Amino acid sequence: MVRLQPDPFLNELTNMFERTTEKGSVWVTLKHSSDKSKLKRDKMKTAGEKIEYKCLVRATDGKKTISTMVGVKDHQRFQSSYATILKTRMTALKKRERKDKRKAADSDKKQDPKKQSSAVKPSN
Amino acid sequence: MVYIASWDDFLEKSVQLFRSDPEKTRYSMKYRHCDGKLVLKVTDDKECIKFKTDQAQDAKKMEKFNNIFFTLMARGPEADISEVGGKEQAEAQPVKKGRGRKQ
Repeated sequence: MVRLQPDPFLNELTNMFERTTEKGSVWVTLKHSSDKSKLKRDKMKTAGEKIEYKCLVRATDGKKTISTMVGVKDHQRFQSSYATILKTRMTALKKRERKDKRKAADSDKKQDPKKQSSAVKPSN
Repeated sequence: MVYIASWDDFLEKSVQLFRSDPEKTRYSMKYRHCDGKLVLKVTDDKECIKFKTDQAQDAKKMEKFNNIFFTLMARGPEADISEVGGKEQAEAQPVKKGRGRKQ
């Protein structure tokens, strides 16, 4: 488990996505964490100290794991960079099928009136 | 593993789970480019809910979900997430208007 700063973490995450394009998965986990052991946290609670929480982000490709802690001040910036990476990388998902079905349905409808109009003429 | 079909249901239950046990709840995402599949999992080690998809439109929903959870997890379970996008708007509002006319 490699603990990185937020920016190197994002770079390494991008590399992970690149490596797993042909084969493999990328797991990203988010957790609310204080980075302190349970024992220390209990001690701090009884002492009345305020425990500082951050967001722990972990990423793995099944072989290598990286992690980072994102604090309150960095989280907006981190989440927008993270969103950009995902948008760029998650291109294998299917586009909306409904639109294709609608287009197919529309083209069928267009053909039908023609058939109807041609059917109407002989009756006149 | 409990797969939830409705996105809104999944979102609501995830936030509930986190607020009920912020110490233990975690949110995982698995993406497989070769299969074009995305799976989201939220668990507190007692209950587990999952959402799977292969649709590009769900990636956009997941983005909002990520924003919500980043805010909750960085700031704490008491954080106000009412429209995470609303926060950005609130920050932009206090922009002063331009100066008066030149005379």
